[in-house]
Amino acid sequence: MIWRFAKKEFLLNIMTFKFAVGTTLCVLLTAVFVPILGKAYQERLKVYNENITYNERELGKVTVYKNITPMIYRPPSVLAVFSEGLEKQLGNSATIEYDKVPEITGAAANHYLSIFSVFDVSLIFKIVISVLALLVAYDAISGEREHGTLRLMLSGTAARYQVLLGKLVAGLMVLVVPVTIAFILGWLILLFFPMVELAGTDWIRFGLMFIASLVFIATIYNLGLLFSCLARRSAISLVLGLFMWIIFAVVIPNGSAHLATQIIPAGSEDAMNEQIRLLQQDLRDESWKAFEASGRKSMSGRQQVSDVSGGGFGHGYVRSCTAATWHNNTLRYSFEVPFQIKYANKYAEVKDNYLRDLFEQTALANRLSRFSPVSLYENIMSTLAGTDMASFRQFIEAVKPYRNDIIEYMRSHTDNFSSPTFWTPCTKEEIETRPKGDTASPLELGDLPRFTYQSDLVGSLRRAIPDLAFLIFGNVLFFAMTFVAFLRYDVR
Amino acid sequence: MIRQIVFKEILENLLSFRFILSLLLVIALFAVSGFVFVGKYRQQSSAFWEKTNENLTGLSERTDKLYRLAFYKQSVWRKPKPLALCAEGSEKSLPDCYTFDVFSNNLPEIRGQGNFTLSHFSSIDWVFIISMILSFLALVFTYDSVSGERENGTLRLMLSNTIPRHKLLLGKYLGVLFSIGIPLFIGLLVSLIIVVVSNVAVFQGLDWLKILTIILLSFLYLSIFVFLGMLISSRTAHPANSMVILLLIWVVVVILIPSFGRIISEVSGKAPNPAELERRLAEIWTDVWSNADRYGERAGNWAGDPKHPMNNPPARARLRNASTSAQNKAREDHHNKMLAQAFTGRNLTCFSPTVIYRRASEVIAGTGINHVVNLQDQVREYQAGLKEYIRSKDAEDPLSLHLIFPEQSSARSWRAISHNSVDLATVPKFQERDLALSQSLKLAIWDIGLLALFNLVFFAATFVSFLRYDPR
Repeated sequence: MIWRFAKKEFLLNIMTFKFAVGTTLCVLLTAVFVPILGKAYQERLKVYNENITYNERELGKVTVYKNITPMIYRPPSVLAVFSEGLEKQLGNSATIEYDKVPEITGAAANHYLSIFSVFDVSLIFKIVISVLALLVAYDAISGEREHGTLRLMLSGTAARYQVLLGKLVAGLMVLVVPVTIAFILGWLILLFFPMVELAGTDWIRFGLMFIASLVFIATIYNLGLLFSCLARRSAISLVLGLFMWIIFAVVIPNGSAHLATQIIPAGSEDAMNEQIRLLQQDLRDESWKAFEASGRKSMSGRQQVSDVSGGGFGHGYVRSCTAATWHNNTLRYSFEVPFQIKYANKYAEVKDNYLRDLFEQTALANRLSRFSPVSLYENIMSTLAGTDMASFRQFIEAVKPYRNDIIEYMRSHTDNFSSPTFWTPCTKEEIETRPKGDTASPLELGDLPRFTYQSDLVGSLRRAIPDLAFLIFGNVLFFAMTFVAFLRYDVR
Repeated sequence: MIRQIVFKEILENLLSFRFILSLLLVIALFAVSGFVFVGKYRQQSSAFWEKTNENLTGLSERTDKLYRLAFYKQSVWRKPKPLALCAEGSEKSLPDCYTFDVFSNNLPEIRGQGNFTLSHFSSIDWVFIISMILSFLALVFTYDSVSGERENGTLRLMLSNTIPRHKLLLGKYLGVLFSIGIPLFIGLLVSLIIVVVSNVAVFQGLDWLKILTIILLSFLYLSIFVFLGMLISSRTAHPANSMVILLLIWVVVVILIPSFGRIISEVSGKAPNPAELERRLAEIWTDVWSNADRYGERAGNWAGDPKHPMNNPPARARLRNASTSAQNKAREDHHNKMLAQAFTGRNLTCFSPTVIYRRASEVIAGTGINHVVNLQDQVREYQAGLKEYIRSKDAEDPLSLHLIFPEQSSARSWRAISHNSVDLATVPKFQERDLALSQSLKLAIWDIGLLALFNLVFFAATFVSFLRYDPR
């Protein structure tokens, strides 16, 4: 019985004008914009590759150990085509330095582009298809009442739950069509796009995105059905549904972010900078004290240095200096650098404190936005695409141990930073004869630890599941309410 | 006659369910926008004045020696505008701080950005409410204005009287415009009262004029949607169908097209790469210093005593100036590329009335990306003025070498720039100027014209469709 209702509804819906227009629009948008988004991804990949090449080239030029300051770049995510998330909003690089711990930053390549809102494939789903779902659902019950067909249907042997379930199944079947077409089309275009490589995990992520989209569309459909059972006239149910849609799609996503910033006040950036400034002073005092306590003396005499540029990563190195400078520099680095490393961690602590507030705000905004299926869907998609906050944090967390490896490498190769090779490639004899030109040969860095980063599929899944559960819960809730409303519906 | 039709339309709308719903939604949103603005503006302007005073204190501390004034890194902050109530122009994610001394110009920075880990959210200002919510309401009010009356049979009755069709159309148009005008006006009033009573932002005469212009602009914008709704309604036989088409058009025009801007910007040309800029700056540095002799003998040498035979002050000045101006130019180019990218995206999406409306109101309110660009120009102008001031003051000092170039150690130990003290009162200080109404109108005139053109086109189309409409 249910099946027969579903089939009838399905055929009726699929021939409607709204279905034709909605599906065409959706397919058209996907067909036009996936190639453009793919192109934008290519551009990002090109920049990424340029940066990597530059990095390697500079690493080959490094002449002294203190200049080992490679940049680590986060590879752009292919799935950002489907959900951009924070991909273009957060900085995607980290510099490895012994006196600074990398932190997450808000450095977009071009911050003027923030005058535009985000555009990705999930926008097409969360806006166009959700409107389509509402349009399919709004007259499912109240429309049939207006035409009088609902009375006819219920005067037969069909039970009310059968009618409702039939409507639900039919609606979902109808909506699966545009979602599937758009997804497959988008994926195919991406597959055959030059330079785009899709890993195995991308397939899993993509599959889950598809499932999440279906669940989302079902939620909106159920919502429309609910309003259809609540109102007697289909025009009213449409108006109610659209108002709700505006609240879910526009008001809650923007409002929750704003509310979160009001509820949890962020710490002051100035206060943080001030704290760091004080720590920098402490650093100078402490290293000076340690130096005095050691009883070693710096050499007096004529101090003269001549630098040469081209020591890798835009740094220079000392080519010639006087004996006094030679002695003092070596001494200074061997004392200062361990303290600088220690204080880098202290700065990071201060920064972490500041960032913790921001992360809390973001988490709260996400929790608040769970009232809206549209926001839930957005969160799930960005998590699956690996463009959410947590993915960026993971990247930065992965860079931190690598920095320690590099520092350890520098330490072990320069005898606790006390070897002159830390700051000059020349020997004492060479440096006093003052060779001309930029002739030092680069360091042999074959055994330098390399950075590898794998995006974490399991972590993404673990973060996406609560949101997905919420979305499914919303589905069930809306359907239960629809069920109750329909049981009490006056069909006359 | 028209008046009767208008009254009938308004009354019919006033009693409808959708009107009550939209009235509540619109008033609530405008009230929220008022409160949000008050909180934000209070906090922003206290931060602004604090920072600006800090900068001034720094400036006054450095008047004891002219060269210190020249090397003082000033920070100029973007002033919060009271008219951000109407159009905030996504200023919170645009650069708000300019740091410079008289020689170098850095890229403008975003300092008081707030939480950068939150995804960008639109601030709830008037333009947001009007462009998103009220445009939507305009469609909700018009989708059945013709086809609905046809379905009910009232259209036939009306047209069987002596009313000509154009009068009927005009009556309906005005009726709907008034019906959405009511929630809009109440909303605007609520929001203005909240702001005026809280007394954080003082609107001057000019501001009121600008507010009025923005309100007029809003009506021009909403009128497009009213025409659009009536056009589609008179092209379809059933109101359900016209709703479907209208909704999809609304989604495309109001939500999708404005977001296309970003993607168009990204693929339209070579994107500025910050890492590349860093490399370019380092290259310039390396190039200048490894070819130091190009600027004169011993330009690369430096000793504390200006008479030391190792020194050649004029050559040193040339070298330093060359390196700084090349770096300034590289930064300027990069910055221009960034701006050009953003403007391309916006210009190419201005076939959507929403984009045009937002742009025009931003210009009139003096906020948004134009504000940032304008402020940047003012800063450059000020910088040049300050440099000129330092040059003229320096010329009065016979002990100085009169070499104004970006190297603080030389200025200090060689006395390349005068060490005399100056009077703070004579030092130029930065003060942001707002554009006059006529200037902002001049900038917005194209957009206003485009909005009027949209109105005209849709009016003509509606008129023709309605004349040919079969009321049976």
